Formats: sequence, C-alpha cells, structure tokens
Amino acid sequence: MSSIPKNNISLMASAGRILLLGMLSVSQVANVSASGPRSPQNVPDDPTKLSLEDLMNISVAKRPQKVADSAAAVFVITQEDIRRSGAASIPEALRMVPGLQVARIDENKWAIGSRGFNGRFDNKLLVLIDGRSVYTPLFSGVYWNVQDVVLEDVERIEVIRGPGATLWGANAVDGVINIITKSAKNTQGGLVTAEAGSEERTAESVRYGAKAGDKTYYRVYGKYYDWHPSIDTTGATASDGWHALRSGFRVDSNITTANSLTIQGDIYHDNFGETLTVPSLTSPTFSSTYPNNGYNSGGDLLGRWTHSFARSSTSLQMYYDRTNIADPTVFGDHESVYDIDFQHDIHLGENQELVWGLGYRSIQDNNGSSFTVALLPDHSSLNHYSAFVQDEVDLLKNRVHVTVGSKFEHNPFTGFEFEPNVRVLGTLTKEQSIWAAVSRAVRTPALTEEGLQLNEAIIPPGTPPLNSPLPVVEAIFGSPLFGSEDLLAYEVGYRVQATSSFSLDVTAFYNNYTNLRSAEPGAPILQGSPFPTYVVLPFVASNKMSGGTYGIEPFAEWKVLPRWKLSGSYSFLRMNIRKNADSLDPTPDIPNGASPRNQFYFRSSLDLPKHLEPDLMLRYVDQLPSLNIPSYYSLDFHIGWKPISKLQLSFGGQDLLNSRHLEFIPEFINTLPTEVRRTFYGGIAWTF
Amino acid sequence: MLPIFQLRDKTLMRLLRPIIAIGICLSLAFGASAQTLDSFDSSEYLIKAGFIYNFAKLVGWPQGAFAQTDSPIVIGILGTDPFGGIIDHILADKQIDARHFVIKRLKWGMDLKGCDILFIGSSEAVHLEEVIHSLKGLPVLTIGETPGFARRGCIINLVVEDNKVRFEVNLDAAKQADLNISSRLLALARIIPQSAADAR
Repeated sequence: MSSIPKNNISLMASAGRILLLGMLSVSQVANVSASGPRSPQNVPDDPTKLSLEDLMNISVAKRPQKVADSAAAVFVITQEDIRRSGAASIPEALRMVPGLQVARIDENKWAIGSRGFNGRFDNKLLVLIDGRSVYTPLFSGVYWNVQDVVLEDVERIEVIRGPGATLWGANAVDGVINIITKSAKNTQGGLVTAEAGSEERTAESVRYGAKAGDKTYYRVYGKYYDWHPSIDTTGATASDGWHALRSGFRVDSNITTANSLTIQGDIYHDNFGETLTVPSLTSPTFSSTYPNNGYNSGGDLLGRWTHSFARSSTSLQMYYDRTNIADPTVFGDHESVYDIDFQHDIHLGENQELVWGLGYRSIQDNNGSSFTVALLPDHSSLNHYSAFVQDEVDLLKNRVHVTVGSKFEHNPFTGFEFEPNVRVLGTLTKEQSIWAAVSRAVRTPALTEEGLQLNEAIIPPGTPPLNSPLPVVEAIFGSPLFGSEDLLAYEVGYRVQATSSFSLDVTAFYNNYTNLRSAEPGAPILQGSPFPTYVVLPFVASNKMSGGTYGIEPFAEWKVLPRWKLSGSYSFLRMNIRKNADSLDPTPDIPNGASPRNQFYFRSSLDLPKHLEPDLMLRYVDQLPSLNIPSYYSLDFHIGWKPISKLQLSFGGQDLLNSRHLEFIPEFINTLPTEVRRTFYGGIAWTF
Repeated sequence: MLPIFQLRDKTLMRLLRPIIAIGICLSLAFGASAQTLDSFDSSEYLIKAGFIYNFAKLVGWPQGAFAQTDSPIVIGILGTDPFGGIIDHILADKQIDARHFVIKRLKWGMDLKGCDILFIGSSEAVHLEEVIHSLKGLPVLTIGETPGFARRGCIINLVVEDNKVRFEVNLDAAKQADLNISSRLLALARIIPQSAADAR
C-alpha cells in the first residue's frame, strides 16, 4: 500500500483507529468483494456520448485491479454483501467472514469469536462502531444484543483476524471488527424499511438525511424490532423473546477543506427474556429454573475532528458511552466510559510514514449483586492511558513494505503493557503478494476477573464423594492476582489475482498463548449468610493455561460470468490449549472443543435483468465436541428486486436444510440455549 | 414445515456430491469464455475514459498549444496504465473540432512535454511533485485518480465516492498551465486549493 495511504490520509475524514483501518480497506475493497458491479447493464458502451452529469450518476464497479496491499488478514463486508445476504443483524452478517466463529445462543444472545475461544463471554475480540470501542470492561467482551445500527446505513464492516493490538490496544487479541456507517452526506433523503418473517419477527426502521447549510449534512434514525420467542430443544416455546427501540443521529461537516467534524450519537432500550437456572440453597433441588426478564439501555455521543496539513494530518476523537444492564434476579450494572484519542500521521519523505497517538479512557462502574453473581467492589473507577507509534517504510523500489510499531499502555490491574508488531508485505508481481507478521498482544483483566463471585452450582448435602453435611457451593472467584493473558502470533498470507475474474487470498497463522485464564481450586470457605450455613468451594481465576492454536483461512472469488459471482471460504482451526503442569484446575478443557474445527461458506450471486438479485448461501459448521453440538449445514437464499428505483423488495429463507438446530451452549451463566429454526421472511425498503 | 428439507448430513452429502461435481464441470467449461468476457469488465475505467473525453471538450487550450487546427490531442498515460486498452478503443474514431486523439504510454523519466493531456497513474504518487514541476508553465491538462493529487498540484483529480466518479479541480494549477476551464465543468467540480507547502 505504498502509494495509496500516503495520499489518502488527508481525505480520510475519519479519525483515530478508523483512519488506519481505513487505509487497509481502501486497498482491500478493490480486492475482497468490492462495492461491486451491481448493475453492469447501465454502463454504456460508448461513454463519450454521455455528458459529465450523466457520467457522474453511473455507479462504477471497482475492478479488482490489483492485489490488495495490507499485511494483515482483512475481510470486508460491503453494504451490498449485507443487503444480498439478507442478514437481519450484525452477528448474522458476520457469519460470512472466514476465520470467525458465530453461533446464536438464543434470540438475544450470541457467541462470536475469532480464531477460537468462542463463547458468550469471549474476551479476545475487539469491536468498534465508527471508532467507538464497544467492549465492556466487565468481562472484556461484547454485549452483542445492544450493538446495532440501521443496516442500510452501514458502509462496510472490516474484520481483521489476528492481533491488532499495536493500533487498537489491549483486547484486540484475536481480531478486530470495525463497523463503519456511511457519512451523513451519503444518506441524504428518507428511507423506510419494514421486514417480517415466519420466526415471528418484525423490524422497522426510518431514516432521514438532509443538508444544513453549505457544508454540513445530517441524518436521524429510529429503529424498532421484535423477535418472538424461539423454541427449546424439546420443541416447546422458550422465553427468549426480545424487542428493542433505538434512535440516533450523525452530523458530518467539512468546516473548511482542511477541517472536518463528525458528531454522532445513539440511544436505545431493549427488553429481553431468557430461561435461567441459578443455584439455590433450598432443598431438595438446590437450583431453580425460571423465565427471567430484564432490560438493557444506554447511549453514546461521539465527536471527531480531523485536520489535514500538506504532509500530515491529525485527528481528535472523544466519546461518552453509557450501558445499563438490568437483570433483576441476577445482576445489575451501570457503566460509563469516557474516551479521548489523538492521532498524528506524518509523511517523512517519499517512502516513509509515521503515525503516533495518545489515548485516555476512564471507566466508571456501579453494580448490584445477587446470590448468584456478586462483584466487589460494587463501584469502581478505572483509568487507562495509552500511546502508540508505528512507522511504515517502502524499500526496494516499493516492492517491500515494512511496518514496525508498538502500543504502550497502562491499566489499573497490571500496570504497563507493551504490544509490538512487525509486518512485511512483498509484492511479487503485479498480481501476487505475500505478507508475514509477528505480533504480541495482551488481554488485560476485566473487572469480573478481579472481584467476581459467581455461584455456579450447589452440591446437595451428602452427595458422594464429598459427603458434606452442608450444601457445597461451587463458585468462580476473581482474583487481584490475576494477570494479563499473552499472545505471540505468527501470520503469513498470500494473495493472487490469478485471472481478471479469479482471486484467492490465503492466510495461515500460529498463535502461542501463555498465561491464559484457568480456575484453580482454593481453600473452602464457610458462609452463613444468607441462611442456612453452607460451604463455598472456590475456583479462583489464575493464569495457568497455555498452548497454541493454528489454522488456515483461504478465501476465493470467481466471476464466472460478468453477472454471476461465486465466492467461498474455508476456515480450519486447531486448538491445543492445555493447563500448565502446576495447574490444579479440574474443569474440562472447554476452549478446545467449543470452536468448530472446520467451517466453510459458499455463496452464489447473480445479477439478472430488471435489478433482480438472487443469492444462495451454503454454510457448514463443524461439531463442537465439548458442548455436544453436532455439525450442521445451513442453506439460505435471498432474492432482491428493485421494480422501481425508489423501492427495494426482498424475500428470503434461512436454514432451509434443518427444521431447527442448536448452535451453542453458553458458559458461566446458565441460560437455556434455544434452537435456530427454518425461517422465511420478506422485506420492503422505500427511499424518498 | 417442509419435510423435504429434513435431511440428515449423510443424505445431504450424497445429494450434494453430484451437484458439486456438475458445478465444477460447468465452471471449467465457462472458465475460458468468462475470461475473455471479463477482460472488459472495467466499468470504472470506461467511465473515467468518458470523463477524460468530456474534459477535453470543456477545457480551452491557449493559442499556440496546437500547431495546426487539426493537430491531434495527445493524451499521455504516465506510469502503470489502468485503462488497459479501453481508452484507445473508446477514443479511436472520436474527434473534437477536427482534432483526433493520440494515446501514448509514458514512463517516469521520459519527456512529458509533447502531451496535451497527461493522465498520471497512482504508481507515480511518489514523484508527482517532480512531474508537476517539469510541466510548469506548459499547457498540459494533468489528470490524476489518487486522493490528494489535486491538492498537490494536479489540475483535475478523479475520485470514486460511493461507487460514483467525482472530480476535483485545482484552479491555481489550471491558471499556471494557462488552461481555460469552462464554467460547466467547474459547476460540477469540487474546487481544491493548492496546499501551501506545495505551492512554492
């Protein structure tokens, strides 16, 4: 990417980490799937017959003119991919990404991971929405049920597998997902969408964008959806219904040619249901199972200012993010995040570019406990400081591109951390490139890993082999001694544009993890409150697991005919995570068997006359041995049709091969997993 | 529900195998034809060629820029050529006021002065300033397609936004080249000021 980003930076009206990611994408979009050749039929044979005005109205296909130039495993989901796949939510869209594991737990819960360690509380994946990190300091994961946008307003979703810690910092261990919405300038006018499906789901959204003055554009939106309960493994209706309302805005202003400003915000509220099993001190069952209802609410406000100089650019981004979790019988939490980031890009001569930045993040957390989940202290204030520097140099007449950099950060749990990486990209021919990278990343402790007590289950009195006269509570404890998890990752990649219609992108990786979290048994504690007296058998968070994972992720795209595209990916993942010799953790090796070893995704996209777009998608997900989940195929179809330019109709079906199947079983909090059913849906989008 | 879809994995594989096999055979058969069909799938550059033709119509060269009334308009393509023959094909039999087009492929270091229009490829980003400098005062319409080029002294820069081609015009650079850009063209352009550091 020697020349592209250098000249691109001044125009990239986005800041902070997005800026850098943007660079990756600029070259990548050309290769990966491209905001595609939607309607080649409107491209004229002789463009000289058209006026400038007409030419400016034609959508062009970004041809895959050259092999993408990023030394990282990047995959881009375009707006077209989202529309044509029929994805109803961000997690559904992520199912098409090689190297990711996506599983639905129930209607409102997802397990999403990159290169393994999948789980509801996966803590090695960083997710950003328009530059705002949405990971929760509570468990270093993502509340997928509160992350949403109007899908039609998404410009693209960039997914980087592998460590991104040098730029994004701690927790960008196994991957970064960057959801980027369109600039307000590109969402002018009105949009009304409605969708309904056989899974008794309905979704509506309204968006309106307009111009305010000469240089300022804005949009406002509202979105509502309602997912009716699914079914449990016996076929009975479950309690996992979910409905949510959200609204927000975005303003983009080019104050002067050198200065641009973005302000955006969202507010949301959702109600969810689940079937929960919690330990209870009441005999004879010592557990209780009941339908549980709760709600999440929150909002965010972000401002970003970008200034370009002749040979450098700066960006300053600030945001506030509030999340309230109210699960009345288990856990309540209010967290506020204040974040400020500054970044400076400098061109040093013709072949070198230096990027550095500073960041500060303040987190305020207040929580309310129950017998099942308790977090100490019940309120905390955390301050994170970070700095990073990265240099990119072109060597050997731009044929070799080297990136060296490191992040340095300070967190309240483990103090200083540094996360360096080295990436080398070599251009072999115009059509082929190879890359390799070595990076270190850390996953810093979450609040729960420091001060949690989670009562998982109760062994009734007199149960062999313990034969305890008192009930024994098996509990997971956090520990102030818990340290960061470490990763040293080795990646190589090869990309080729074999013919003008066929491209292939292969990535292989080996990840070496140390100090992963284990649960070490501690000395039993006698507790008498609440009554009656019971014994707590603690399993304390410790860093006594390590091991390696490796895998290969090929992705190919073939335009069989100008109007017929096939794409497919395969993801192979092998995990060998083991407890260290000094670990006494008796729990089974969950991480190894909870992520599928083999996955593939195959898609056929046709462009028929009259804007008819049929798509067929086939997905295979291997078994999850430790969760007893069998492998499955999922066949989806989607037909889009635009009878007139203002109206888009769609019809689709999901999971045609199975009437229903289970995808995952959640860890830690014992909520009932529900089955994904065969679904048919239809939708309408009207623009004005 | 539809019982036809109640298939076990094995049955499914048995069904899928012939489908996949047929698919592969068909694919191979299509493969050869697909390549030739696809080599013209560069709608972006077809459109950009259309832009260049329109620019040639809407830009006025100073007197003396052309030796005769029917001297051709020479378009130079500097660096890696993204048009791949499209532009030659499109402009082969076109003319503007009795002027035909001549397309030349140029490399960095070659003499650029004979051009009336110079398309500067992205590959030349590193020596853009030197290219601009070597053409100083000459009536050459420089056209780029790389973000930042207009600011750095290129007269017109094509940018693709949201899949549509837009263009930027650097008026100072046009003035220096003594080119007269029609108001119709300017009305559609995004005017970019010369960056102070590069103006020199």
